Amino acid sequence: MAAASSPPRRLRGSAGASGASLVATAAVAARFLPVWLATGALFVVASIVAPHSLGNTSWSFVLPDATVLAVAALGQMLVVMHAGIDLSTPGVVSFGGNLIAGVGAGSDHRLAPAIFACLGLGVAVGLVNGIFVGLLRLNPLIVTLAVGQIVLAWSSKYSRDHVTNQPLVPSGLSSWATGKPLGVSNVFWTGAALTIVVALVLRYTTGGRRFQAVGANPRAAWIAGLRVRTHVVLAYTAAGALYAGAAVLLAGVRQSIDPAFGSAYLLAPIAAVVIAGAALSGGLASSTSTWVAALALTFLTQMLVTMGLSAAMQYIVFGAAIVAGMVVSGDRAALLLGRWLRPVTPPPQAAA
Amino acid sequence: MRRKRLMVVALAIAAAALTVAATASGGSGGSRTSGPSGVGSGGKMIGSGGGFGEIYKAPSSTLTHALFHANLLPANKTARNIALASFGRSTKNVNYALALSCWKNNGCSTGTHGKLTVAYVEGFGENTFRQMSKMEFILEALTYPQIGKIIYRSAHSDLNQAIADFKSVIAQHVSAIVTYPDFGDAMIPVFQEATKAGIPVSTYAWGYVTGPGKNYTTVIGEDTCKLGQAFANVMNTKVKSGSIAFLGGFPGNPLSAGWQTCEQKALNSNINVVANDPTNWDPSKVQGIVAGILAKTPNLAGLSYEDALFMSQGGYTAYKAANIPYQGVFTYRTDEAGMGCLADKLKDPKLQIYYFSAGNPQIRLALTADMMKLAGAKIPPTIVFPIQLQQQTKRDMCLKGYPGTASGTSLIPLSLLHQMYP
Repeated sequence: MAAASSPPRRLRGSAGASGASLVATAAVAARFLPVWLATGALFVVASIVAPHSLGNTSWSFVLPDATVLAVAALGQMLVVMHAGIDLSTPGVVSFGGNLIAGVGAGSDHRLAPAIFACLGLGVAVGLVNGIFVGLLRLNPLIVTLAVGQIVLAWSSKYSRDHVTNQPLVPSGLSSWATGKPLGVSNVFWTGAALTIVVALVLRYTTGGRRFQAVGANPRAAWIAGLRVRTHVVLAYTAAGALYAGAAVLLAGVRQSIDPAFGSAYLLAPIAAVVIAGAALSGGLASSTSTWVAALALTFLTQMLVTMGLSAAMQYIVFGAAIVAGMVVSGDRAALLLGRWLRPVTPPPQAAA
Repeated sequence: MRRKRLMVVALAIAAAALTVAATASGGSGGSRTSGPSGVGSGGKMIGSGGGFGEIYKAPSSTLTHALFHANLLPANKTARNIALASFGRSTKNVNYALALSCWKNNGCSTGTHGKLTVAYVEGFGENTFRQMSKMEFILEALTYPQIGKIIYRSAHSDLNQAIADFKSVIAQHVSAIVTYPDFGDAMIPVFQEATKAGIPVSTYAWGYVTGPGKNYTTVIGEDTCKLGQAFANVMNTKVKSGSIAFLGGFPGNPLSAGWQTCEQKALNSNINVVANDPTNWDPSKVQGIVAGILAKTPNLAGLSYEDALFMSQGGYTAYKAANIPYQGVFTYRTDEAGMGCLADKLKDPKLQIYYFSAGNPQIRLALTADMMKLAGAKIPPTIVFPIQLQQQTKRDMCLKGYPGTASGTSLIPLSLLHQMYP
């Protein structure tokens, strides 16, 4: 019996045998804590160097925009949990927004079919990505970029034929987006609810736990009888639906659709997911931390504008902040902590 | 089994939704006829004489439509003649069905079996301004029976692609090139290559690249420094004192730098420029930047920018979200109908808008200059239009029947514009 014959194991940096669960807890905390601390630090810095960026006027822009990024990042997070990456986000957001304006045709009566068309598009694109990556085993980086380009081209044609003459989204959606129950945008509340739902589903439902298990270790999950490929397809499909959800929210925030609609969502959602502590090699991720990372990125951009820095300085500071975020990212922290706390096996005793 | 069912449900939802999209969006074909290549054929004819295959005369109504006033022509005599010849071609009849097909398919054979091929090559062509410029180029080209083929290329904001596109049309031995140099002086080597090959190259909308007349044929547009001074004049008389902001396009672009430097210098000392931010001419970015400026300066008294349309979209949304009245003195370079229609809707006397022209028809001059160069004319290195800002309350930007994203000074006939954007 291998287990019985194994030498006793102890934890480096841990006092006792109960350290195993402590290691797990510490590793999870180390993964997701840095983004919260960094965001707190960012607010402290902002209160000193750019106090206006913490005012109501600034939040009226930051919260809805951060929420849209967060919803798109949630989709990306589901894909990253399965060691994938999705570069079709701008395509879905762009075409989704154009469908809101094109199908909606400025009429509230057509808002429901417009939203339905937008979400359906997201599901369809996600499903195609999922089939290519999950079933046909194509490289996600290349295939999602290609699918995204096709969707963007289609979006551009649709925009020219149906949107340019009437780029306004139905007033029902734009009025809803500007509504502020309890003084905070409807968009924020919707995004927050969506984030909580995703977090609860992943943590407390059987399907969610299976989804995480497949992402954490596909081979073990397969041995345990889980359908790994189906979960990958599901991840991309759900991601597509979330991108489309982001498109609906963004259309409400922007109130009109332009040719550049959605172009900012190629790398920003990936940055948010990674800064939040997820590893691009797959595994655990946190919805709430992703939301916080999206908030931090949006707020940082706004803070730099409010500070009145030159364009060049804004790019330098933003880039430096992203690099700093990556250096202290939860993924790296978890890795370092894991190395430090990992069980150490003493060298085998020499045979007598 | 459950997974399979889930996938089937997802497929069904997607298919149903796309069906809704396809059916709900509809689309109208519209009737396609022939007609004049430009707007306005009435009024007296301005100008006289001709040469190099051109007649230097244009209807005053066309000039008024494109330039606000028939006398706002370039001061230089040759430049004036090129402008008159180009605008005069707006009365020539063209086939709208062919123009539309050429616009949709990014090029065409004109059916005249003419020996010349002309190309419009640009670094970015995806917004309404560029698409309308493309149609103006096509309409102008269709008035020349000697042009047998029209080529269009957009590099989708990719410098390498832009250079490759340019080299490609040179390799195809096109007769003339019109371009908007989105990448500025990075295009000089290919401009020089075309010039060396005897292909005239002209830019419009003050797409200035170093060495007009030497590295390429000519640049057409307004004097951006005078535009900035005109903006400053409005701010000095209407704002008098307070905080204003500048917005620009891509960082370092010559258009924004041109007017901003001169406006800053011409402002009186009581006016403080609190922000000068690049927007990449992206309305989403405009919203964020205006929100940032308003966070710091909620009582902003004025703002200068190139794009009126984007301030009616992202800019207005930022004011609305911040719950700050959309008031102040705004000076714009362009005249998209959407901004005018928003001002009409708001009906706020404290919203004061002054604007110039988007200048879509300038691309017609670029082609005419190239054609005259091919005919042996000596083309001035710059063709500069004088500046006269318009006031929204006196000349409404909101023109009946125009898409909100379209410039009212475009010479594209309205019936054709409706076929482009049904």
